[in-house]
Amino acid sequence: MSTLSPGIGGGRQPRGSRVNVPAAIVTIILIVLALAVIVPLFLPLLFVFKTRLEYSYNPWSLPRQIRWDNFVQAWKVIQLGKGMVNTLIVCLGAIACTVPPAACAGYIFARYRSRMTEVIFYVILAGYFVPLQMVLLPLYRMSVGLHLADTLPGVFLPMAAFGISFWTLIYRSFFRSLPCELAEAARIDGAGHWGTFFLIMLPLAGPATVLAVLLVFMSAWSDYLLSLIMISSQALFTMQLRVAQFLNAYGVDHMPRYSAAAIISAAPTLILYILGHRWILRGTLAGALKG
Amino acid sequence: MSEIARTARGRAVFISLMLLPAVAALGVFMYYPIEETFRLSFMRSSGLGDAAFNGLANYQFLFGNDEFRAGLAHVFLWAFWSLVIQLPLAFFVSYSLILYRNRITKSLRAVYYLANILPSTITAMLGIFVFSNTNGVLAALARKISWTWLAKLDFIGDPTLAFWAVFFVATWMYTGFPIIYLMARMEQIPLEIREAAELDGAGGWRYARAIVLPMISYPLRILAVLMIVGSLKLFDLPYLMTKGGPGDATKTLGIILYNQGFVNWQYGSAAAVGVVIFLLSLVFTIAQFSWQRKGGEAE
Repeated sequence: MSTLSPGIGGGRQPRGSRVNVPAAIVTIILIVLALAVIVPLFLPLLFVFKTRLEYSYNPWSLPRQIRWDNFVQAWKVIQLGKGMVNTLIVCLGAIACTVPPAACAGYIFARYRSRMTEVIFYVILAGYFVPLQMVLLPLYRMSVGLHLADTLPGVFLPMAAFGISFWTLIYRSFFRSLPCELAEAARIDGAGHWGTFFLIMLPLAGPATVLAVLLVFMSAWSDYLLSLIMISSQALFTMQLRVAQFLNAYGVDHMPRYSAAAIISAAPTLILYILGHRWILRGTLAGALKG
Repeated sequence: MSEIARTARGRAVFISLMLLPAVAALGVFMYYPIEETFRLSFMRSSGLGDAAFNGLANYQFLFGNDEFRAGLAHVFLWAFWSLVIQLPLAFFVSYSLILYRNRITKSLRAVYYLANILPSTITAMLGIFVFSNTNGVLAALARKISWTWLAKLDFIGDPTLAFWAVFFVATWMYTGFPIIYLMARMEQIPLEIREAAELDGAGGWRYARAIVLPMISYPLRILAVLMIVGSLKLFDLPYLMTKGGPGDATKTLGIILYNQGFVNWQYGSAAAVGVVIFLLSLVFTIAQFSWQRKGGEAE
């Protein structure tokens, strides 16, 4: 009798794949919703190959010829190239300052548990719940004092501090899932604390590290708020600041060029997501399902 | 020194050095600024120098200030509508994806999270671009089918509509996370439960109401807390789309803090806004933890 079997639970396929009406209707709704997510992303492609004149007369027609002018213009006028270099520095800095401290701390919390480390663990865990918005102002004042204001480290150091908690949690649960025997064997072979960590455990945590690098890169690439408050000189503007600046200056009046800027600045995260969405979703959920 | 003492010391040195970078980073860039936020919120300070202790004057100023009250109201409105619109939508999508497993729904799974990974500058741009009165997609389409009433609506410039335009874009961007989160949670429900339910004749949407909803009530509450805390932190989208305007129509606590601190250079009142954001997030986060403990016992 069950034409409609709920697929809740394990990965097993529902019995009986006969077409039924509710399933068809719901599937159509799901497709419409998915289109609602995707279609706006393709709109810039409709405009990016047009001149401004062409756009104002026929915004909706398919482009008659493929012109790359807008990309070139966006690159020059909005100075996306410079912005991209700055953004890449921020990304690399954020990765370098987030992932290693989190890996080290996560290892200790997984394998060297004592009352002292538990206390420190909660101090770091609590950081996961602190909203960055709250501390913007003292952060900026302090950065002025430390000569970090209006520098790229001024952006990626706080960014790292606000990311370490999450990744410490991930590394901690990852190291806990590794068998203890490995560390024991290493110790019997004469590897000290350092050797065991760097030569045995850290390489085993490769998957966690790949995930951390990927997700830290993506969030650093997209950052807007920290760059906005920390960076004031044009030469240090990150890509998102440049795009936002252009948006403020022209609104949507210069759509073709703006589309080009948008495509360039969104491309890396989109490509990474399309290639690695399985990983990215798993990593995003790993923290959420634990917490 | 004895062998044991030496290894104990080596162990302590190892632990301290391994924890040092994380502890130092959080200490300098998180905990010290938190302390400063509280301290500054009681100071009358503008400019770079510190001024005198000011008691609760900054808080008095804020709560008597129309802009701040509007911001606070928007935060709670935003949270309310997130719970009423985004949460049921996420439940519908995630449950349907699991209930009707076929080739189409399987390939759709990753799509819903796509908007979430875009930089907010891009999302805001797409939002303006759809809703703009002069060149927007919606207005252009409306003109084409001569729905002049729709073409006339100024979603960005009208105070009532602006809130909804921003909220719509946020829903588009942020609902992906609740969807994948609920989906992952529902997949953890053991297969036997589903089979038992089916034997009892509870299939499809009855199964959702009778069994799935109660079983994911804890994840739903977590999402509710995340949505409320998210509203408290809201900055990028409304700031990029409308700068909080027109008037105060889309001001959020984040925007008010930014304006007070970095436009008006009123450190004291900006810090006070920070304290309000912090305390409200704290209340809801503690609520989440107390639920979590109960949820952990139940599981």
